[in-house]
Amino acid sequence: MALDLFNLLFFPAGLGLIGAGLLYQWADRKLLARFQNRLGPRWFQPFADAMKLLGKEEISPQGSSPVLFAFLPMLALAGALTAALYVPLFGLAPVFSFPGDLIVTLYLMSLLTMCIGLAGAQTRDRFSLAGALRVFTQMFAYEAPFILALLTPSVALMLAGQPSSWQISELATAAANAPVSHLLTLPITFVVALVGLMGKLELPPFDAPEAETEIVAGALTEYSGRGLALFSLARAVELVVGLTLVTALYLGGVGSGPLAAVLFTLKTIGLLVVIVVLQTLLARLRIDQTVNLWWRIGSVLVLAQWLLLILYRVLR
Amino acid sequence: MNASTTDRFVIPIGPQHPALKEPGHFEFTVEGETVIDATVRLGYAHRGIEKGAEGRNWTQSLYLLERICGICSHIHSTAYVIGVEQMAEVEVPGRAQAIREVIAELERIHSHMLWLGVAAHDAGFDSLFMYTWRDRETVMDLLETISGNRVHYSANILGGVKFDLTDEAAAAILKGIDFLEERTRHYREVVSQDAFFLQRTRNVGTMTREEALQLGVVGPTARASGVARDVRVDAPYIAYNEFPAQIQLLGAGDLEARFLVRIDEMLDCYRLIRELLAGMPAGELTAKRMPRKLKPGEVISRVEAPRGELFYYIRSTGGEQPDRVKVRTPTLCNMGSVLTQTVGHNLADVPMILVGIDPCFSCNDRAVSVRRAGRAEGQAWSWADLRRYGINYYRRQLNLDTDHRPTDLLTY
Repeated sequence: MALDLFNLLFFPAGLGLIGAGLLYQWADRKLLARFQNRLGPRWFQPFADAMKLLGKEEISPQGSSPVLFAFLPMLALAGALTAALYVPLFGLAPVFSFPGDLIVTLYLMSLLTMCIGLAGAQTRDRFSLAGALRVFTQMFAYEAPFILALLTPSVALMLAGQPSSWQISELATAAANAPVSHLLTLPITFVVALVGLMGKLELPPFDAPEAETEIVAGALTEYSGRGLALFSLARAVELVVGLTLVTALYLGGVGSGPLAAVLFTLKTIGLLVVIVVLQTLLARLRIDQTVNLWWRIGSVLVLAQWLLLILYRVLR
Repeated sequence: MNASTTDRFVIPIGPQHPALKEPGHFEFTVEGETVIDATVRLGYAHRGIEKGAEGRNWTQSLYLLERICGICSHIHSTAYVIGVEQMAEVEVPGRAQAIREVIAELERIHSHMLWLGVAAHDAGFDSLFMYTWRDRETVMDLLETISGNRVHYSANILGGVKFDLTDEAAAAILKGIDFLEERTRHYREVVSQDAFFLQRTRNVGTMTREEALQLGVVGPTARASGVARDVRVDAPYIAYNEFPAQIQLLGAGDLEARFLVRIDEMLDCYRLIRELLAGMPAGELTAKRMPRKLKPGEVISRVEAPRGELFYYIRSTGGEQPDRVKVRTPTLCNMGSVLTQTVGHNLADVPMILVGIDPCFSCNDRAVSVRRAGRAEGQAWSWADLRRYGINYYRRQLNLDTDHRPTDLLTY
C-alpha cells in the first residue's frame, strides 16, 4: 500500500515524472538552441518557468465558462499523468498493467490535445478559435497513422504466429527479446510513430496550431498563470510518456536491474535527440500541408509496412 | 464579427502582434483558413520628422533624416545630401562618392541578411533565422570598423563623407565579404532546395508582371516579378556610373523569387564592393566649400534603398533651413501589393506575404492633411499646432475629456 502510494505520487509516476518531463523539456530546448548556434536555457529554466507561472494570478476571459477554463488544464495534466501509469517509465515495470492498456494509454494521451482544443474553442478570442480549429484538424491528421504505427509491433507478432496482446508490458518484453530488433524489421512504422509523436506534441514542423507569427499562441492565447503552467507541465509529461511508449514498443530494453533502466532511459534520450534534429532542420508546415502529409504519405506508409509483413508471412 | 453565427470572421493582426516588429494594423477577413478580404491601417509610428526638418538648418536636418530608418539610415542621408548638393551646385570628390557607395552596399547586405532571417522566422524556420542573424554580425562589425557605429554610421556630410576608408579597413571588408559570400551561397541553396521551405514559398503570393506594374511596386518586390526597376541602374547616382550595379531580375513573382532576388543582390553587392575597393579613386573627402544658405529652388532625388526606390523632394526658399522635405519610402509603394496578394491565400501564408515586401512601418508613416476642394487657402501648421493636434487627437480617442482646452494642453 505504502509502496503503491510512493509509486503513484513520487517515483516513477507523479512528481518524479513531472521533474523528468521538465528535464527532458530542458534537453529539448538546450539542444535546439545549440543546433541553432544559440546559448539556450540553464537546466533549471523549465522548473523556474513552471514555478513562476503556478504562482501567478489566473485571468479568466469574458465570454468563456470559468469552470471549463480552470478545469480543462487540470484534466489535461491528469490525463497525461494517468497515461504514465501504464508505460514502463525509465525502463521500470509499469505501475499498472492489464491487457489492452495500450489502447487506454493512447486515448489518455489524446486527452491533452482535446483539452487544448476545447480550451481554445470555448473562449471568444479569435486567435484561440483559429488555433483550436488547427489543433483538431491536426489531431485528425496524425492520430490514425500514429495509432496504427504504435499497434504495428503487436500486429507483427500476431502475423508471426506468436502470442500477442495489446498490453504494453508484454509488447515491451517481446520487443526486448526479439531476435532481430524492431528497428530493422519495422523501420517504416518506427519513423511514422516518432514523427507522429512530434505531431502530438505540436513540435516544429507541426507547430501550426501555435504558430506565433500567425495566431499568437493559438488555442492557449488566453491562458496565463496556473492554467498555462498546467498545460505546459502536461506537455512535458506527455513528452516523456510518448518517448517511453515508442522506445518500449520498438526498441525494447525493459529488463531487470539498474543497468536496464539506464539503457532504456538512454534510448529515450536518443529518440529525443532525433526529434530535436528534425525540429532544427524543418520549416513549419501549413495546416493543409500537415493534413496532406499524414493522409497521403503517413497512412500509406503504415499500410505499406503492414502489406510487407503480410507478404513476408505468406511467402515464407 | 460574430463567430457563432457565421464561419467568416476577422483576424486582426496588429498594432501589437508577434509577426510585426513595428506597429501596423491589418484586418484579414477569413473563411475557415482562407483570406477573403484584407485592409490595412498605417500611421501608428508617425513621428513628424518631415516637419521637424523644417525647423532645423540644412546640416541639422541631415542627422534627423538619417534617423528615419535604423536599417537603411545611410541611404536616407544619401538621398538628402545628393539633393542638397545638387541645389547648392557643389561638386563632390570621386573618392567620397565611392565611399558612399561602399557603405550603401554594405548596408544593403546588412538589410537583406536581416530580412532573410525575419522571413525565415515567419515561415517557422528558426534555424535559418538564427544563422543569418549570426552572419549579419559580420557586416555590422565591418560597418563599425569603418564608421565607429553599428547602426547610424553618419558617413555623409553635406559635400562629402566624414571618414576615409583606410587600407586596414579595406582589408577587413574583403575578408568579411569572402566569408559572407560563402554563407550567402549556402543560403541560396537552402532557400532554393529545401523541400519543406519551398512548400511555404513556391507559388505563394504570386504577382505577375502586369499586376506589379499596375500596383507600382518597387525594389526587389518588383524585380522578383520581372519589372526591371532599379534606380542604381536607371538613374545612376553617387558612384554608380563608374561602378555600376547589375540588375537582378526573376520572372516567377512568388515568394521564392523574392528570396532569390534579394540573395542574388547580396552576391552582386560582394562583386561591387570588391570592384570599388580595387578601383577606389584617390582624392579629397569633402568639397572645397559648402554654402550655409541655399538658393531658392526645389529638387527631387531618387536612390535605391534596400527595399526599393526612395524618393526625396526638397525645397529651399533661400534660407538656412529647408522649406519642405518630403520623403516617400518604398514600403508605401509595396503595401498595396500585400492586400491584393493575400486574398485567396491561406491565413498561414499572410505573415510570409507581408514580410515578402520587407515592410518598414515607421519609415513609411506620414501625416497627410486632405484639403477640401472648396477651400482655396491651405493651412500652415507650426510645430506647436501639430503637437496640440496630436494631443487632442489621442485625448478624443481615449475619451479622456470632452471639452479640450488647447492652451492648457500645451503645458500638459
